Amino acid sequence: MIGVGKAKQYGNVLDKPLSRGRQEVSLSAFAFLFSELVQYNQTQVDNIAELERRLEDAGYAVGARVLELLCHRDKGNRRETRLLGILSFIHSTVWKVLFGKVADSLEKGTEHEDEYMISEKELLVNRFISVPKDMGAFNCGAFVAGIVRGVLDGAGFPAVVSAHFVPIEGQQRPRTTILIKFAEEVIKLLLQILKEFFVFVARKPRKSQYCP
Amino acid sequence: MAPLVPKSGDAVFASVERVNAELFTLTYGAIVRQLLTDLEEVEEVNKQLDQMGYNIGVRLIDEFLAKSNVSRCVDFRETADVIAKVGFKMFLGVAATVTNWDAEGTTCSLVLEDNPLVDFVELPDTCQGLRYCNILSGVVRGALEMVSMKTEITWIRDMLNGDDAYELRVKLLKQVPEEYPYKDDE
Amino acid sequence: MQFFGGSATTEASLLPAAPPGTGAGGPGNNAHMLYIFNRAGVCLLYREWNRPLRTLNQQQDHKLMFGLLFSLRSFTAKIDPTVVEKGNLGVPLLPGQGCSFYSFKTNTYQLNFMETPSGIKLILITHPKTGDQREPLKYIYNLYVEYVVKNPLYVPGTPIQLILPVYHITSYSSSNF
Repeated sequence: MIGVGKAKQYGNVLDKPLSRGRQEVSLSAFAFLFSELVQYNQTQVDNIAELERRLEDAGYAVGARVLELLCHRDKGNRRETRLLGILSFIHSTVWKVLFGKVADSLEKGTEHEDEYMISEKELLVNRFISVPKDMGAFNCGAFVAGIVRGVLDGAGFPAVVSAHFVPIEGQQRPRTTILIKFAEEVIKLLLQILKEFFVFVARKPRKSQYCP
Repeated sequence: MAPLVPKSGDAVFASVERVNAELFTLTYGAIVRQLLTDLEEVEEVNKQLDQMGYNIGVRLIDEFLAKSNVSRCVDFRETADVIAKVGFKMFLGVAATVTNWDAEGTTCSLVLEDNPLVDFVELPDTCQGLRYCNILSGVVRGALEMVSMKTEITWIRDMLNGDDAYELRVKLLKQVPEEYPYKDDE
Repeated sequence: MQFFGGSATTEASLLPAAPPGTGAGGPGNNAHMLYIFNRAGVCLLYREWNRPLRTLNQQQDHKLMFGLLFSLRSFTAKIDPTVVEKGNLGVPLLPGQGCSFYSFKTNTYQLNFMETPSGIKLILITHPKTGDQREPLKYIYNLYVEYVVKNPLYVPGTPIQLILPVYHITSYSSSNF
């Protein structure tokens, strides 16, 4: 594997001071690169869900390294151990570093505990996108969802993260919401399903299975 | 209307929207990693990176022309110069230099001393033979092809292999005139 | 595999056929037609606002327009009195080689033309009194770059069927001439 951002045992990379993050490239250079990421992955999948999953994986790798970089750079910062702390770290610091601005909003889900949403009116990766009809709800934001998942995972908060378009009234373009469900919530959900399944199985007259 | 004067690399770079180079670098890293997982063979990864670069070059040329006011690319020498000084600067924020012209003026080197693709990168032994920056040669090849210059590009120096700079050797194979694209009229 | 791209034609029909202020010679709109070709002669985009007479089918129409410009470019370069070096008529030019024309006018319409070194050709047909259209054509080229070229879901060399670019390009062209 390529050791991007990993601790290096080699001399010449260590000799190089870690970039302070002031360097810039043009937005279009990134847009073209991202475009190739999407197009390459299209050739590897059969459906939209799979495509989003692969973009999310790519994003995950970015997120994990962003966390390492930021922790290394701001040595004074302890690793966030509180859930709200890490969320606001993503919403402000991570967003600012990667996208040049703080995210538009960070909200707690109203329907479920442990569910959070980061929303962005115009997510950088969706800037140049208009999705053809036949791609349905495909959202390139899956890549950013992956970044968020990578950061959270690295900080010890495993979560399920997904990207969704949310229409805004009076606007031509929908905003993108990154939905974060923490693992606890996910586990609870799974337990619930399991419980229902067992109740269902228990209710079934078992004998019937063996009766001719 | 006065003829438009091509802008300098610095002027174009200052006028376009920019993003943090780390987002770019890390995203590229994620792409290479994905390719290594999918394709396994280092040679295949090199090929795919070159292809991706080519695809980018084919698109990027229009952005370059639109933003830089460059209105003709007929002379190879001029074109190589403008790519190095304006093209590289405009997209990557770093300019390249053109050196080592051959006597016929059809082969030259583009030299990069700083390359945002490779921040934080070190090639592990398992990736020997990987041309990590192969996407760059693809971009140059694709972009030049769109202005009718067929080229062959090879890597001469690569800092990831311990060299002191990145050097791309660009050889002009031929210039293709525009042809009437339709078959005989029916 | 590409699992999309085919059915997008339905989208174009969702567009307003003629944005506000257009139609038969309505005020504020002098644009008749817009064509965007790539170097391979593929018509990437065609829109019309005011074209009462149609004698050819669409494909023939595109071919004719492309052919006209192709020959005209060759002619204009050939008769250029200011340069010493001349290609022979009919010998293909390199893109950007020779002088370039940017419009011609008849008593009923004006054809405005822009060609980039990458072979993208923009043609805008307007009322003969609309003046120099080079800046607007450059603007349309910029829209093409921003909304088409940078869109990851656009396959280069195919007709543009995405809503956003078509919307921006056509609404600009229809309201600014």
